[in-house]
Amino acid sequence: MITAEETRQAGTTESSGVAHRDAEVAELELSAARTRRRVLRMLQANPAGHVGGALSVIEILVALYRRAMRFGPDRVTDPQRDRFLLSAGHKALAQYAVLAEVGVVDDPVLDTYGRTGSALPGHPDLHKLPGIEANTGALGHGLPIGCGMALGARLRGYRSRVYVVLGDGELPEGSNWEAAAIAAHHRLDTLTAFVDVNGLQISGPTAQVLGMESIAAKFAAFGWAVVEIDGNDVAAVCDVLDRLPLSAGRPTAVIARTVKGKGLPGLEGTVASHYWKPTPEQLHAAIAAADAAVARAAARVQEVAR
Amino acid sequence: MSGGLQDPRKTFGAAVAAVAESDPRVVVLSADSGGSSGLGEFAAKHPDRYLEFGIAEHGATGAASGLATMGLVPVFCAIAPFVTCRNFEAFRNDVGYMRQNVKIVGRNGGFTYADLGATHHSLEDYTLIGMIPGVVVLAPQDPAEIRGAVRAMIAHDGPVYMRIGNDPLPQIFEDDSFTIGEARQLRHGGDLTVVSAGYMTPRVLEAVDAVAGEVDVDLLGLGTVVPLDEEAILASARRTGHVLTVEEHYLRGGLGGAVCELLAGVDGVIVERLGVPHDYVPSGRYSELCARFGLDVAGIARRIRQAARRGGPRDELGSRRTPITAAAGD
Repeated sequence: MITAEETRQAGTTESSGVAHRDAEVAELELSAARTRRRVLRMLQANPAGHVGGALSVIEILVALYRRAMRFGPDRVTDPQRDRFLLSAGHKALAQYAVLAEVGVVDDPVLDTYGRTGSALPGHPDLHKLPGIEANTGALGHGLPIGCGMALGARLRGYRSRVYVVLGDGELPEGSNWEAAAIAAHHRLDTLTAFVDVNGLQISGPTAQVLGMESIAAKFAAFGWAVVEIDGNDVAAVCDVLDRLPLSAGRPTAVIARTVKGKGLPGLEGTVASHYWKPTPEQLHAAIAAADAAVARAAARVQEVAR
Repeated sequence: MSGGLQDPRKTFGAAVAAVAESDPRVVVLSADSGGSSGLGEFAAKHPDRYLEFGIAEHGATGAASGLATMGLVPVFCAIAPFVTCRNFEAFRNDVGYMRQNVKIVGRNGGFTYADLGATHHSLEDYTLIGMIPGVVVLAPQDPAEIRGAVRAMIAHDGPVYMRIGNDPLPQIFEDDSFTIGEARQLRHGGDLTVVSAGYMTPRVLEAVDAVAGEVDVDLLGLGTVVPLDEEAILASARRTGHVLTVEEHYLRGGLGGAVCELLAGVDGVIVERLGVPHDYVPSGRYSELCARFGLDVAGIARRIRQAARRGGPRDELGSRRTPITAAAGD
């Protein structure tokens, strides 16, 4: 997979670019389907976890890791790598799955999920697993850390970009807005925050728990460049990634509207998917659906290639 | 003691600027607090390495962690409660749990910001930050130790919290050497062990010298509260059988609490603690508040005499176990 940056450098022509783009999107959709299947693989090892939010954010992570980031098995400790921070650390299943998808984590490690001392704790730990950059989980921590990373990269002369994924439910944490001000003041245009707006949190709809709309207007008021997209549309995510920074000298906020529990039969868009403890039958049905999604996506890849 | 009184904040800031001359990893974070922390000289000399975050201590602490992941050594100084209480979760998770090489300095520790009231006092920081695994807690005792502690904390690979005070301090040490975790034997004696830390030590030293001839004090001065120099304290406690801790910190927890934890189960040693009762300290003049809690030179001397009169277990058949005294300097 070539990165967006390398595509730009290669100066791809318009017409060949369209076909190439279709093939790449199909490939990324297949990657997303496999990543969802890997989330369920971890549930096969231990049938409980923050599944709903993990499944809503898959396309964002796949596009980042496979399309945008200077990162991979050979760059895990490269100082100039791009950094990814999962501020909504409870979505860790998604990060573990995508790290396996890009070959940083071996698949059998996923089968240790839920075991005492596993490298895959309920919230990520940078001392346990390669590819984890921060010990998130307590909410409202990713963006401040990301500000420091972007500032640090600038001071060190690194090309590293910093990507932070937040959940919409964590936006009331005031530290996010401290960081929003800090990032704008310091003109951190290598920093991009994705807000995964699946609209649901443990107590119910986010709008009812503590309404934070308009999220876009809030970030814009802090001086960020803002765009709203369908966060489960991998092509839409790629389009944004290709255009970063949206505005020179400004950090970028991507307000990504998503579906909680995306791909879970009967549980899409439900609070029940937030922390899911499936019965064996539910898990079996989810795996069947995920396998079918992988098969469909693989067929699409073949179709586009013809 | 040598030389005149020196401002701890200016001493601290100048020391950071001096280290930064030869260590390009050092960056300074300010929460609208750099100039008042003595870091104006650093800002003037290294504007590119002086990062202003505004009054946003939680965000600044997280950012410090992020900066450290990039191989930099962030030094973040502000009024003590705002870099210990306000930002505690960021300190615990982003700095402690992530084991990042961040140096956080609380100035105006204790109730040295006397007139500003309890919001600006820091009487729990040794305990609060000492509870975070892997964090070193420093309390340099004089201007020489502040200089040495700044060098040592930047050389140390890991998170450090340092408390400094406000009032000008006399220099009691000849040179500015500093070893993390090592107590200094300031006076030798057999009647009573006195353990002090941080900017209290020059005062304690004066009190100990004032009672010389009456009470033979074994005085240990600590520039490091965590990790505690257990070996030095145990050795002295076994010699005297009677320990008095002195600190501008709540009696709950603190240096005294740590010494009690260390000596729990050690036969034939009693511990007394002089410190601040567990309540909000009123605003007022610093010297008057110190006198109220018996933390001025006269109060410390009085408490040493009282302790000596009461005596340790060796004075009474070597078997008496007296309950720990938790009262203030009365």
